[in-house]
Amino acid sequence: MIAPAVIILGAMSLWPMLQSLIWSFTKYSGLGDATWVGLNNYLDLFQDARFQQATLNTVIFAVVTMAIGPALGLGAAILLNRKMKGRAFYRAAFFIPVTTALVAVATVWKLLLNDSGVINLVLELIGLEGHQWLGDPNTALLAVCAASIWQGFGFEMVIFLAALQSVPVELLEAASLDGAGPWRRFWHVVLPSLRPTFIFVYVIGLIGGFQVFDQVYVMTQGGPVNSTLTIVYYLIDRFRGLDLGHASAVAYVLVLILVALSYLQIRLARRWA
Amino acid sequence: MRFSNQVAPVARGRRGGISVLPRKFVLHSLLIISSLLMLFPFIWALSTSLKEAKDVFDPSGGVIPNPISFDAYVNVFTKIAFSQYFLNSVIVTVLIVGLNVLFDTLAAYAFAKLKFPGRDVIFGVLLITLMIPSQVNLVPLYRFMVWLHQVFPFLGVDTLSGIVMPTMVQVFGIFLLRQFFASIPDSVVEAARLDGAGEWRILWRMIFPIAAPAIATLVIFTFLSAWNDFLWPLLISNSEASRTLPVGLTLLSRKNTVNWPETMAGSVVTIVPMIIVFLVLQRRFIEGIAAGVTK
Repeated sequence: MIAPAVIILGAMSLWPMLQSLIWSFTKYSGLGDATWVGLNNYLDLFQDARFQQATLNTVIFAVVTMAIGPALGLGAAILLNRKMKGRAFYRAAFFIPVTTALVAVATVWKLLLNDSGVINLVLELIGLEGHQWLGDPNTALLAVCAASIWQGFGFEMVIFLAALQSVPVELLEAASLDGAGPWRRFWHVVLPSLRPTFIFVYVIGLIGGFQVFDQVYVMTQGGPVNSTLTIVYYLIDRFRGLDLGHASAVAYVLVLILVALSYLQIRLARRWA
Repeated sequence: MRFSNQVAPVARGRRGGISVLPRKFVLHSLLIISSLLMLFPFIWALSTSLKEAKDVFDPSGGVIPNPISFDAYVNVFTKIAFSQYFLNSVIVTVLIVGLNVLFDTLAAYAFAKLKFPGRDVIFGVLLITLMIPSQVNLVPLYRFMVWLHQVFPFLGVDTLSGIVMPTMVQVFGIFLLRQFFASIPDSVVEAARLDGAGEWRILWRMIFPIAAPAIATLVIFTFLSAWNDFLWPLLISNSEASRTLPVGLTLLSRKNTVNWPETMAGSVVTIVPMIIVFLVLQRRFIEGIAAGVTK
């Protein structure tokens, strides 16, 4: 019964994993033989200004989206965590972007952010100046972040909504009787009981954030002047340049980052949750 | 069990009745405005897809196209191969979902209810792959698909099977279902065995129906990721015959001079099926997502 699953996973996941680990220590164009180069690919990467830029951009992307996305998700969850008219509609409005293809919504945002697009039009209507959001190296990455936050925070909202349902009502009532106002009840009762949820949301969000690719591919293609180049985008660049050794090394740098992050989060989870 | 949303009357009692109406008004205004902001990109995409190319950036254009033109939709389905992309996306998604339900269920049942040597070791090794981002496998998988295509021309690179193969079994699905199967008492399974039922029969006739909620979660997750997946289909397809909707869409959006009505028509065609499925299965969807990630 496990034979099909194990054979397929072996061929489609375990074997490629090992193969790219081996390739990451070789010079290999995909044709002919691979030559062993030891750690040279990794050393090259650490000295490559483009890879440094890609790593920095990816970190900025993950930090910005994770600083804002979960906050918006929690805010929406708190507003919607009650019986009221239109709740299903609001929840759907926040969640629908999550269900849609990143490529498609990135395409839509490319139109919204166009130099003569509707966002600049509205800014000019209210007396501000328009901006070349995707053409300016200082704003392109932030524009990609904005589209990603818009697309993703409904997911965090759903997780927080489920978690808020399980905050023990007895605790809230007790705090209320002790004279705690809504703000203090939130700060001292609700937030602490959401800790495991926060850790979970950040694990998933950071892992996803470090793998960002689709939005960049559609909206900016890594530009202008590498300002939106990300780790996975760099990996695909190397792959398309038939440089399988460096491409594999990039993949394993990503693995190291994600494993380190997971380890950190497990440690934090033990201490806080 | 009492839940926290019932605490609202407590809070309101302390404040008195007068402040209730304005607070409700503020709350709903806030929610309506933010909902409209959330939906605006979709509305704008739909609106642009119905405009003529020359009107797209007309500052006095507004949301309602004037005149309304369906040319963009006609073009993407006739001049550009969107009907092919759409069909490809449907085939790929149905295959990935179906194969996952089959293979993941089989493996999960074996891991949860059968005893065989090496069971926990194999499961442990599979769990490790959950930690590894899929990008690690891209390069070797691509090479594998090239090789496979040379041996079997109907498989591998630039075919729909090549898109399906890497995700036709998912450790995430096996893990999710195994957790659920493990919560079904062994005595139920053993009683059926004593009655002479084979494992195959026990799984599909007894366990599978009980596990419907978990299966639904698996189907929803797999459906979402298969329909929206981009990077792997992008790498492996290089002709119309194997492009899915997201890949076909980027051919329009990355041109130097983008035809915006056609590009937005392509986006709408990619987005709308998912929104319809979501609206129909809304509760299942949200509960499934919450259940799938907190397991």
